[in-house]
Amino acid sequence: MTDRMARIVEILIDSFVPMLKAGLTFTVPLAIISFLLGLVLAFIVATIRVLNIKCLNPIVRFYVWIIRGTPLLVQLFIIFYGLPSIGITLDALTAAMIGFTLNVGAYSSETIRAAMMSVSKGQWEAAHALGLTKNQTLIYIIIPQAVKVAIPPLANSFISLVKDTSLAAVVTVRELFQTAQIITARTYEPLWLYMEAALIYLMFCTILTLVQSKMEMKFTKNLAH
Amino acid sequence: MIKIENLYKSFGSLEVLKNISLTVRQGEVVCIIGPSGSGKSTLLRCLNGLEDITRGRIFIDGKPIDVRKNNPDVGMVFQRFNLFPHMTVLENVAFAPVKVRKLSNKEAVEQALALLEKVGLLDKKDEYPSNLSGGQQQRVAIARALAMKPRIILFDEPTSALDPELVSEVLEVMKTLAAEGMTMLVVTHEMGFAREVANRVVFMDKGEIIEEGTPHNIFEKPVQERTKAFLEKILK
Repeated sequence: MTDRMARIVEILIDSFVPMLKAGLTFTVPLAIISFLLGLVLAFIVATIRVLNIKCLNPIVRFYVWIIRGTPLLVQLFIIFYGLPSIGITLDALTAAMIGFTLNVGAYSSETIRAAMMSVSKGQWEAAHALGLTKNQTLIYIIIPQAVKVAIPPLANSFISLVKDTSLAAVVTVRELFQTAQIITARTYEPLWLYMEAALIYLMFCTILTLVQSKMEMKFTKNLAH
Repeated sequence: MIKIENLYKSFGSLEVLKNISLTVRQGEVVCIIGPSGSGKSTLLRCLNGLEDITRGRIFIDGKPIDVRKNNPDVGMVFQRFNLFPHMTVLENVAFAPVKVRKLSNKEAVEQALALLEKVGLLDKKDEYPSNLSGGQQQRVAIARALAMKPRIILFDEPTSALDPELVSEVLEVMKTLAAEGMTMLVVTHEMGFAREVANRVVFMDKGEIIEEGTPHNIFEKPVQERTKAFLEKILK
């Protein structure tokens, strides 16, 4: 028994750095970049929907509908394994990033849109009465207030995304989960290795949750009431 | 300077304004009174583009207004203040003049400080609205409306959301404005204010103007039955 336990401990120690490295090289950057790009996309989509820009509205609604109605896993497969057959070949990391960005863009657009709509109608009316244009109202009055409302759900989405990056493994990105798989294939201790991977995810997410709390406190100082 | 001609307004099948015709001259203070649902607020909101109209015409200074465009010459003070919560008091008052009237920051701030002093809130200039009482917020809202140098200010039940002891500080500011010759159209339940300050009182019920006249005529010698019934209930 002790021999086996000693072996497990050795495996865990040896695998920690490679897994952490994969996490820091792929998992976290992939999540951060996809999230930031996705936010830009989400923002554009939300603005189009809130301002009801007639020609673009149906397009963005279609996009949100498709992405929210299909599994992320299937989306990644289509992008990485499916596109080459019509001549678009992407490397694994790019494919993963595109998949995650589109996903974040769709879901977060609903969060941002809801946040903008949650700003009371009276704010629009007061801005209107002062002579501000719709764009000025959106930029200076509505969005600053919407940001404060949107931060908790967006932070949540980001933390979820960090975990969803594990799906990048199935399109051959050597991130944290894939690394755990590879080491398991070599050493045959799936329970301990996958738990170790889970632990590293937990570490990342806990740190992010703390950052979220700090941000929330900072941003909600001056909300109405 | 405001002429409303045969105004009709419906929300879908619900007709809320029926054949409203009203003139407001420059420097006049006109108070609109009446029961809830009589269309008073809707009438006000038609004047600055917050509602569109079904039929009829509205003229400001002889020119027909584009009902969906906002007109910075027409200011508005809301029942629920609607101050911008993420800006300080000073920023609230200085913001629109910079963005709409294209004042420089310096000019807008100077103007804002003067207006805040006028409404008695200069010492609160760096506070956020959530730190002010209702009466103080409403006075800031008045200063904010004044910053755009409007030709007329619409007041939509400006004191209805205030605790009773805070009402008078807002009415005092409004009295000062009236004395300075601001054209004001005020929807209110404050009969005392209407009596004291209004040049004319208009009584509305169920979307129509039932009666209008000087405060003396309306409050002491109402002619229409509905006017009498309303005043009896209110002034008890």
